[in-house]
Amino acid sequence: MTLADVAMATPAASVKHASKSFGATRALDDVDFDVMPGEIHALVGENGAGKSTLVRLLGGIHRPDAGEIAVNGQSCRFNNPHDAIVAGIATIPQELRLVPALSVAENLTLDDPPVRYVLGIPLIDRAAMRQQARQALAQLDFVPDPDIRVDRLSFAERQLVAISKALRRRCRLLILDEPTAALETREIERLFAVLRRMKSQGAAIVYVSHRLDEVVALADRCTVLRDGKVVAMSRRGAFAVGDLVQAMTGRAAADMTAELLAPGAVLIDDGTVRLRAREVLGLAGLLGSGTSGVPHRLFSNPKEAIRSGIGMVPNERRLGLVLSQSVRDNILLPNLDRIARGGVIDRAAGTALVVRFMELLDIRPRDPALPASALSGGNQQKVILAKWLAREVGVLLLDEPTQGVDVAAKAQIHALIRSFARDGGAALVASSDLAEITRLCDGILAMRHGRVVERIDRGDGYDEARLHTAIGG
Amino acid sequence: MARRINLVGQIPLITLLALCVVTAFLTNRFLSPLNLTNILVQSSIMAVIAIGMTFVIVGGGFDLSVGSTVAFAGCIAAMTMAKFGIAAGVLAGVVTGALVGLANGLIVAKLGVNPFITTLGTMVLVRGLVYLVTGGAPVGDDELPSSFIAFGSGRLLGVHYLVWVPAILVVVLSFVMHMTPYGRRIYATGGNREVAYLSGVPVDRIITSTYVWCGALAGIAGVMLTARLQSGQPTAGEFYELTAIAAVVLGGASLHGGEGTLYKSIIGVFIMIVLGNSLNLLNVDSYWQRVAIGAVIIAAAAADRLRSRL
Repeated sequence: MTLADVAMATPAASVKHASKSFGATRALDDVDFDVMPGEIHALVGENGAGKSTLVRLLGGIHRPDAGEIAVNGQSCRFNNPHDAIVAGIATIPQELRLVPALSVAENLTLDDPPVRYVLGIPLIDRAAMRQQARQALAQLDFVPDPDIRVDRLSFAERQLVAISKALRRRCRLLILDEPTAALETREIERLFAVLRRMKSQGAAIVYVSHRLDEVVALADRCTVLRDGKVVAMSRRGAFAVGDLVQAMTGRAAADMTAELLAPGAVLIDDGTVRLRAREVLGLAGLLGSGTSGVPHRLFSNPKEAIRSGIGMVPNERRLGLVLSQSVRDNILLPNLDRIARGGVIDRAAGTALVVRFMELLDIRPRDPALPASALSGGNQQKVILAKWLAREVGVLLLDEPTQGVDVAAKAQIHALIRSFARDGGAALVASSDLAEITRLCDGILAMRHGRVVERIDRGDGYDEARLHTAIGG
Repeated sequence: MARRINLVGQIPLITLLALCVVTAFLTNRFLSPLNLTNILVQSSIMAVIAIGMTFVIVGGGFDLSVGSTVAFAGCIAAMTMAKFGIAAGVLAGVVTGALVGLANGLIVAKLGVNPFITTLGTMVLVRGLVYLVTGGAPVGDDELPSSFIAFGSGRLLGVHYLVWVPAILVVVLSFVMHMTPYGRRIYATGGNREVAYLSGVPVDRIITSTYVWCGALAGIAGVMLTARLQSGQPTAGEFYELTAIAAVVLGGASLHGGEGTLYKSIIGVFIMIVLGNSLNLLNVDSYWQRVAIGAVIIAAAAADRLRSRL
């Protein structure tokens, strides 16, 4: 399809002059957005830029205050998510909407299970159900046993089931929200192959992601949102990661390369990992290679580990924060014994500690009484770091520390980890993001099948390609 | 925003005041000193139970066994007191309650059995034990020390002894809940057990301890009831668990755990007791009273759901 053809065609879906406010917050401000049949249109922006709101307008979850939504050139009004689905818009959220206890085939045909009539009584036609499921999944080059329960599949496989379910409904527009957040390299490649194939068959795809390198590799067009407005829209080839960062944040991307530190005493040596003070050590590997098992093993007895000066930032934020409780309570949780005098909490000491670390880590909004659930992903992650920095731990174990955080917060978190090491701390970072690992770490342990196969040091010079080979990707 | 949240936090108090004002308009007997004293005394025993229930619910649990525990502890206290005196009797009652709570806590925390099923089991089991030890008849009738009987009806500074008990407990235990590391760890454990565990909180011990509090306080309530009834009644305390849970939820605690305060639970108790009292004063049929109280329990649970969506 040439550019001229694109200009002539009717968008599969479009949003014109859309605005949406929540209370005093203007989440979307006069936004134009469209996606053509046979096109992958990426949507990027920092947390709070309005990506989710735009996706929710298209998915029928929110209604615009002003502006219009059109599908195939026809103006539409979605009163609920069902209306959007009927109009052919399918959203694949990060939390997949599948029933874990049902089989693949049952999930795929949940909306309209094939029935046959026996004496006028409708019964599920299991053979037809399996057949339909196999057909639908074969389109994605995915051939699991249709009778297997969905909770037995990996996340990547469940995602393919969810996409396949959307395709069965003859969707015109597929919206993917951070689809690769929980995928490893090989699975991402398979997903991309699926998306490219769907595109060549004429599907329109909206791709929301924090991972800008993916956007550059995959998208035909890219729209950048900032503070609810479209600040840039460009075609393939006309944008690179640096441009996107600049458009998203409004400033040039700092070229962050870690300075060399002189490592100190060995703080942890368990046979697999030897971690020294003033060192950031990375764990790289494909999903299932056991990278996140290492920090969890070192933290298998939290009480003991904390007592010996180790802190843990788990890979899911819901494991790091009591979301219903205040930022203050969360930061103080592992520090209660340190701010108690004679068994009673010294409130002034607690406040001083919380205020100091909220300043230091630039946690926004600067309100310790706010429930943790009200913070953005990046700020939540900083609260988890604050818990341990306030305790002055010597070792930080971090499992996917920047998963699902925006570019600016990611840079801040990286800087915090570096300064923690500079001040004599030791950090162990498990991450599936190889670019992150190579930029952040002084040494990298490449892992396969639960074992470290190679240690590469910054001094030896490393890059993503070399790391790929080491982990067998 | 902050102001709105504060208003949501004051819903229990507003509900209670509205209930009082409406009832006072409908009948002038409501504000009589006799009636108000009556409400305070009636609330006192339930308030002690609700304090214990708040510990469990804030910690993310649930306890259906308190009604049976009240009867069991009350009867054990009466039987012991008749033989060995007041101090031994009170101690026996409280320890009995604490042991029931310890059993609940260990089963829930260590074995991981659902709190609803665990305490449903102990509710029936403990009621069976009450009938076994008492033979089904009241115990300690005419055998209790006279000074203990006096405790059940006497006053200090014009206020019934029975009312002093929850008043003192709520002050001391609120301090424990809010100002000690132990108290904050209960909130964290109830808010998210896994996060608390990964932050070094001994969650099993914390959860067990909340049930021990609940049992021990039910034991104290049992002793108070025995003083008031002047004997240990094996049938006492039925449906107390439901009233206590309803009161705690009316007071704004979340059944998901991690939220709730003692003094608001006490307000919840007052709502339940004042409601019953006003229906009585207005001569509402006792069958209809049950219907009304059941509806209030459902409304409280629905309010809990609505609040979690705010």
